[in-house]
Amino acid sequence: MKGNARAFASALFLIGLGLMLVTLFEALPFGGAPMQVGQAIAGRALEDTGATNIVSAVLLAYRGLDTLGEVAILFVAATAAGLVLGGAGRAEAQGTPAGFILRAAAALLFPFLLVLGAYIVIHGHLTPGGGFQGGAILAAAFFVPLLAHPASPVNHGVATVVEAFAGAVFVVIGLAGLVGGGAFLVPLLGAGTPGDLFSAGSLPLLYLAIGLKVGSELAGLMARIAAAGDPARQGGKA
Amino acid sequence: MTLTAHHVVLPVALPLLVAFLLPLVGRLSDGLARLLAQLTTLAVAVIALLLWPAASDGGALVSAMGGFAAPIGIVFYADKLALMFVVALAVGLLLFRPRREHDSTKVQTLWLLLLAGGSGLVLSGDLFNIFVFYEITAVATYGLGASAHTGAGYGASLRYLLLSALGSAFALLGIALVYAAAGTLNLADLSQLAGERLTGPMGLTAFVLMVLGFGVKAELFPVNTWVPEVYTAAPTRVTAVLAGVVSKLAMVVILRLLVLLFQDPAALGFLLLLGAIGVAAGELAAFRSRDLHRTFAYSSIAQLGLMAVAFSIPGHAGVLAGIAVALHHLVVKPAFFVLADRWRGEIAGLTGAGRTSPLAAGLFVLLSLSIIGIPPLPGFWAKLMLFKAAIDAGGAGNLTAVAIILAATVIEAAYLFRVVGILYGTAPAGRPPLRFTLGELAPGLLLGAVLIAATVSVAPLGDGLTAMAADSADAAAYASRVLPGGN
Repeated sequence: MKGNARAFASALFLIGLGLMLVTLFEALPFGGAPMQVGQAIAGRALEDTGATNIVSAVLLAYRGLDTLGEVAILFVAATAAGLVLGGAGRAEAQGTPAGFILRAAAALLFPFLLVLGAYIVIHGHLTPGGGFQGGAILAAAFFVPLLAHPASPVNHGVATVVEAFAGAVFVVIGLAGLVGGGAFLVPLLGAGTPGDLFSAGSLPLLYLAIGLKVGSELAGLMARIAAAGDPARQGGKA
Repeated sequence: MTLTAHHVVLPVALPLLVAFLLPLVGRLSDGLARLLAQLTTLAVAVIALLLWPAASDGGALVSAMGGFAAPIGIVFYADKLALMFVVALAVGLLLFRPRREHDSTKVQTLWLLLLAGGSGLVLSGDLFNIFVFYEITAVATYGLGASAHTGAGYGASLRYLLLSALGSAFALLGIALVYAAAGTLNLADLSQLAGERLTGPMGLTAFVLMVLGFGVKAELFPVNTWVPEVYTAAPTRVTAVLAGVVSKLAMVVILRLLVLLFQDPAALGFLLLLGAIGVAAGELAAFRSRDLHRTFAYSSIAQLGLMAVAFSIPGHAGVLAGIAVALHHLVVKPAFFVLADRWRGEIAGLTGAGRTSPLAAGLFVLLSLSIIGIPPLPGFWAKLMLFKAAIDAGGAGNLTAVAIILAATVIEAAYLFRVVGILYGTAPAGRPPLRFTLGELAPGLLLGAVLIAATVSVAPLGDGLTAMAADSADAAAYASRVLPGGN
């Protein structure tokens, strides 16, 4: 009875919220006159940063601090999850190996995922993609083999080192601007020729740092969750 | 090295840098990682203090990230209010620093991220950037809330996560509405456009959504249901920092939104309503609770309600009262939680505990007198300023709020004196006495000393706060510092 009343109240709330938002969005101009900051950036991004991918210019130059913040959110989530999962991460990973198809495909996929991930990270300032997307693919490259061979030991050491230095590099590039007397995250090294691999100054370096950090963090997090899940599964069987 | 306006980013960048490296240092030695993290926290406090003179000369230090001037890029705006809260956060995190414990490097990493996120929350002058820092702070809190590794801690933290995620979605929706209506996220730019584009139902909806979102951390009614549970189940040093400092940082964000974007009577009325309900509900629940942790958690809800009521009064008198209440609570509540850590469990079981540890009981009496508002303690001046601002502003809403706060004060006095009576009662024979070690009590005693020092120097403190509040309440000054060329 109480559950019904609560469900009814929730439904009523959601309907009200939905109606309110529909009414408000009806009244909003879309992509029209008020989008002043967006239009200003679209007009000057290439000249300011030298990045042909305007999304990257926004992400790394105009709103670079937001991106650093988002990297930090992923990091804080991984740390908090590590704290909660705690000692379970240290338990010996065990489990039955996967079937032939997954094992063969995993071995085949690994180099391709690695190359694709690296390509997307490195070309982030030129074409759609970048550190977050490429980093997720890199993480998948290391996680697919783990799915195929659950018993294989995970080396957290290398991931920790890569993750720590990649994160630090982002902040250090930002702080380098301060040393020069400018602001945090000032684009360095000149814009170069737009469209070249080595262009857009320090932006590709930032994307490389993000790609490595996101990749190692996601891979580490997934490995930890897999390891934490294992003892529970065993407990269920016994 | 001389500090320039661009160094206002250091309270965010420095802890982030060290936090990223900390897991690596922790593999070598937990002790080294702890030392490094604590030195960083200290450095942030020192940097904020060094920036203080420049901020008070020019009104505020403004730095445009990446050299992209507002409103195109993100700006940091460090006025005295922001720097004061950065110092308070850093000092709070040092005072209640993690000890040698299981997983201490991870806890210490979250501690640093809380510092970075909290500093960014008060320093940033960009709406979406504030949201990013709010998320860092919130996610760090999920982890720290569960760091006692108890079932109750996991449960409380998970329920907080669900509520906070909903709140974040609301806040993001509010920010999206603001961006859609005004086309910019820079607070200074928005303050100039607000009168034209953020009025009516659109502006009010955006404000309500953002208050409900940021209000989760600011313990506002009705999104504060996580407070008693998390504050009871988390380790006491975490609770002390969350209740003492972090909740106020979210309140500072709401203050900025009010001053710069929403000087609309309906928006102010909404916050007044939430604040007044928070005060009444918090004190009533505190009166009913039978456990010191919960009592103080509910009392914290009531105190943040007081802040909301103060900020809803237009003009700098309300801002002044709100800041005064915030600073007072910032000193008193962590000290209360220091006492609650040893005096766990049923309050009734504490009979006579005051006799075995007279120093702790004396501290409890001092804190209680101040939070109730007995002159000449600082809590009295804070409440007096609030009443004066509300009565001067007039109006049925404000006067009703004053009546509610007066009634709530009576309830507050009743439950605090009830505890005092129990503490000084006669202990039943044969029960082992609860004693504090000096190390446990030290942070509380330090905060008690600060309270007494503030009582003695209330006149210069009041002058300083008045200047700070007048500046914080001045939207035109904020806009002119961030956008010097005009718009």
